Amino acid sequence: MSAKRPAELSAEEWALVEGAIARLRAGVLAATGALAGGVGLALATLWLVVQGGDPVGPHLGLLANYFPGYTVTGRGVAVGFLYGALSGALAGGAFGWIYNRVAALRSRPRGTP
Amino acid sequence: MASECIVIGAGPAGLTAAHELLRLGLPVRVLERDTQVGGIARTVEYGGARFDIGGHRFFTQVPWVQAWWEERLGADFLRRPRRSRILYRGRLFDYPLRPVNALLGLGPVEALRIGASYLRAQLAPAREERSFEDWVSRRFGRRMYEIFFKTYTEKVWGMPCSEIGADWAAQRIRNLDLLTAVREALLPRRGADVVSLIEEFHYPRLGPGMMWERVQAELEAAGVPVRLGVAVERVVHRDGRVLAVEVRDADGRPERIEGSHFLSSMPLRDLVRALSPAPPAPVAAAAERLRYRDFLTVGLIVERAALFADNWIYVHEPEVRVGRIQNFGRWSPDMAPGPARSAIGLEYFVQEGDELWSLPDAALVALATRECSALGLVRADEISDGVVIRMPKAYPVYDAAYRESLARIRGYLEGFPNLQPIGRNGQHRYNNQDHSMVTGAHAARNLAGAALPVWDVNVDASYHEAGDRAVPGPVAPPRLVALLEQAFARYDPVALGTALGAVASVGLFAASALLLLRGGEVVGPNLALLGHYLPGFGMTWPRAALGALEAGGLGFAIGYALARLLNLLVGLQLRSLRRRLERLQAIRATGGELP
Repeated sequence: MSAKRPAELSAEEWALVEGAIARLRAGVLAATGALAGGVGLALATLWLVVQGGDPVGPHLGLLANYFPGYTVTGRGVAVGFLYGALSGALAGGAFGWIYNRVAALRSRPRGTP
Repeated sequence: MASECIVIGAGPAGLTAAHELLRLGLPVRVLERDTQVGGIARTVEYGGARFDIGGHRFFTQVPWVQAWWEERLGADFLRRPRRSRILYRGRLFDYPLRPVNALLGLGPVEALRIGASYLRAQLAPAREERSFEDWVSRRFGRRMYEIFFKTYTEKVWGMPCSEIGADWAAQRIRNLDLLTAVREALLPRRGADVVSLIEEFHYPRLGPGMMWERVQAELEAAGVPVRLGVAVERVVHRDGRVLAVEVRDADGRPERIEGSHFLSSMPLRDLVRALSPAPPAPVAAAAERLRYRDFLTVGLIVERAALFADNWIYVHEPEVRVGRIQNFGRWSPDMAPGPARSAIGLEYFVQEGDELWSLPDAALVALATRECSALGLVRADEISDGVVIRMPKAYPVYDAAYRESLARIRGYLEGFPNLQPIGRNGQHRYNNQDHSMVTGAHAARNLAGAALPVWDVNVDASYHEAGDRAVPGPVAPPRLVALLEQAFARYDPVALGTALGAVASVGLFAASALLLLRGGEVVGPNLALLGHYLPGFGMTWPRAALGALEAGGLGFAIGYALARLLNLLVGLQLRSLRRRLERLQAIRATGGELP
């Protein structure tokens, strides 16, 4: 779908705009993942703690399999925040890094070493 | 009307032009403001030593220039080895940089810091490479940039590296980066062309001034007047032709010299100022916008035979003002004041009229002596004498306005068919000596009927010596196309799919593996519920691997679809922008009326 290009840009420049491939900021993704993971797990824990019951949040508590020391308690809110942030950062950073590498490989001109 | 050609300036461009005119049999006269020939390529004699204004390696890719030099100098045209190093924290490092040498010299702690900063630059590179600072930091890491690039570059150009355009770095440093350089150092490829490192160069036995003094002698012997100490004050013109120059000699006597043609290597700004009648205001204003970087050398005579093995040393120590130190005896033994003494030149990059430029000579010699001693190169008590050589307008500055200013001036001057600007300052272009000579020769041949380009010399990349003498330009403002590219860039579906798939796959396999390794009676009953969505997934190693594969595939599919969806939305936005732009153009085309 290549409509008539406006005169502000040359044909080559317009082709560049149309063909531009986005790059992700792995650092920003890691930070976003950390924030989302940390706040998400902390809020989920806090919600169950406030609701109470016996036992409190048995399913969320299974995360202790991966996050030693984590419990669905008031203390677990802080511990969960740290673990959630760490996992989110790892996942976000890895996601951005892999995306950028693959995109760079695919956009490399043929014949370039 | 006089039929003589007047050449203004007896530097490489002016003297080559005069020599060429002589060869062509055309009458010529040379006027030079200074008391000796050579311009910035002159050699100053003092106390039995010879000092250059900067370093002048004789290197050219223009065959006739090489032949011309060889013919003039014969056996006095020496072939000299090149050695130059960087002085930093009291240690000397090879220049051009050899990473292994640099890393070893800096010590393990600094090497680690460099490695870490390089790694950081690779993992989280700057999004944009607009400045010299961005460009070098991206390829060498921030730490290496600060040690080996920042201080000296800022000393020379008097502007922060963050304001120097990235193009200049790309031109000077080419494809080199830290990893490539280390790899090349450890496992050199045969015929590898990392960067042009010129190990040897030609140099006249008594400095570059020797060359131009010989040309002066040749001209005078053939009857061509080379008048020194004559400053051009006015360039008189009428009806699109330059008629004469009004000069003042060393004794203050004014004189009017008429000519048929004028070749000017005087600084372009001064030429425009001298035009009489004055040019239109926009041209005069453009000339006033041209800027220069000035230079001064403090020549010191040292009572020691051998100093250091380098032709010159770049001083990267931020604590001292000196930028570079020339060791003239290494350029040619005959530059030294005698077998038991040495001559060095401490170079300061300055602005005419600034604090350093305005210091009395004695204070500058004292400063140079102090700095030399502080750097540990020469003891203060070994220095017996000194001289200060000031060189105004040594480098034309390529700032944000220069290109437009130059185009305006050039357009105006092209209205004078008998006036041709030549040489470095004559054209406000950072020519090497050979390029300046070519401009002079072209201008001279044009007077004999040729139609050779004068302004376009040194524009062609083939003239350059590995970008070694390029001049930095300013950081370019963001271009519309770059902004649009950023705003409307599409996601690569395969890359997004791969990234999501990989993270999902590795995540699930790691989660399963942890539970499997921990063991127990019933392993991971809750995680195993994912088997509802990933057929075959379960809490055994083969099933966990199968589940991971499936999660990868599913992640890929979701990522791919997500990218397609996002791209569709971006595409719709782009189409909308295009329609708006077209509408704007239509409004402009109709003078504001809606079609």
